[in-house]
Amino acid sequence: MAMRQTPLTCSGHTRPVVDLAFSGITPYGYFLISACKDGKPMLRQGDTGDWIGTFLGHKGAVWGATLNKEATKAATAAADFSAKVWDAVTGDEVLTLAHKHIVKSVNFTQDSNCLLTGGNDKLLRIYDLSKPEAEPQEISGHTSAVKKALWCNNDQQILSAADDRTIRLWDRNTGEAVKTLSFEASVSSMEYIPDGEILVITYGRTIAFYKAHTLDPIKTVDAPASIHSASLHPDKDFFVAGGDDFKLYKYDYTTKEEMESYKGHFGPVHCVRFSPDGELYASGSEDGTLRLWQTAVGKTYGLWKCVLPEELSSENSDALYCPPAEIKA
Amino acid sequence: MKTPVSVLRLPRGPEPNSRGFDPNSPRYIALCPTTIPASSGNKAGSVTLEEEQRVRSELRERFLRTLLAMTSKPVHFSLYEKVQVQAKFGASDIDILNFQVSDLQTPLGVQKEALLRCQDMISFSFQL
Repeated sequence: MAMRQTPLTCSGHTRPVVDLAFSGITPYGYFLISACKDGKPMLRQGDTGDWIGTFLGHKGAVWGATLNKEATKAATAAADFSAKVWDAVTGDEVLTLAHKHIVKSVNFTQDSNCLLTGGNDKLLRIYDLSKPEAEPQEISGHTSAVKKALWCNNDQQILSAADDRTIRLWDRNTGEAVKTLSFEASVSSMEYIPDGEILVITYGRTIAFYKAHTLDPIKTVDAPASIHSASLHPDKDFFVAGGDDFKLYKYDYTTKEEMESYKGHFGPVHCVRFSPDGELYASGSEDGTLRLWQTAVGKTYGLWKCVLPEELSSENSDALYCPPAEIKA
Repeated sequence: MKTPVSVLRLPRGPEPNSRGFDPNSPRYIALCPTTIPASSGNKAGSVTLEEEQRVRSELRERFLRTLLAMTSKPVHFSLYEKVQVQAKFGASDIDILNFQVSDLQTPLGVQKEALLRCQDMISFSFQL
């Protein structure tokens, strides 16, 4: 019997949620960080959405946030012209890296030793976190604000997307652009899947998949509305996307067919990401909330409980909360 | 008619008065490196560790007593950007992130009630 998806709403932010990222799977589970225009990025337990802490310190909207694999460090990019590195266990601010303009994107290398930043000054910067006072390596080339910058190919290369409607692949050592992709529209988001070397890009109503090494196209899918963000499932069987019409769409990656769409957010969806185990995906919206969605609807996982119809009316169902329609935390 | 999936409870939201990162959580206890230098790295002996702990406790106690002594007194704050303000100190929040003050004298006038961010302060002083 098919069940209806119950999204879990994580409240707490007071302004639009513009970016989110998951950590890897750690002995304590996996974690989720959300970037918000209220300047207060939050750390949550990844499988339940439970709030763990808020990183306090930025003096402007936070545009980008990331966690390292082990979820021991966090980095944030903000409108106060700084990127900050945090201890993700204690919540303490560890480093402030001053920039010359709004910082939009931050990304750790696999070993968490280097931080890549990109922003409105059109530059990509690489900071050695063991020598933070040293001048960062700067990579120039983009002709307008950098939206997203990611490490790829074992941290030997860098992928960047900017408002100049290009995505560029750079060699980390030489700082030279290896390849450039041009688009008709501004790229709204970029996700890099190391396992399989796939790049997921969104622009206009399109979700496009490319080979990360070569930037050769794999396939494109068009959605019913303008898409702001998409994420590919770790097993590469589905991908999810969200955008201007407030809905989350789920597509079959192989057949490109739309499988499901979910309503829930009260504003455009700005970011969506699959969890590292693929069991759920999180979306951040203009409405100031994060929502967690099940990949396999009805499965027991995290706070979701698989309940057989007979159990719902029995005395044992006291601990269960069966939502009639929309639930808000 | 599809039945909606049941949930055990809703995700926990932020606590209103804390920035979180519970020091009693298993992850914190396991991963948080000790803040006492004497006990990390070389085995300098329990004497050094004890001494350092004693001094730290003393300093902490002194700071907390300073906050108590400051209550309802006029305090002079040196902030960044060479800003100097005076106000009557009310209280601090639990994480020493904000100070509640009254009659804050600013170049723009007197603010009856205000919150000063501790991260904005360089130093503060008052008459005992």
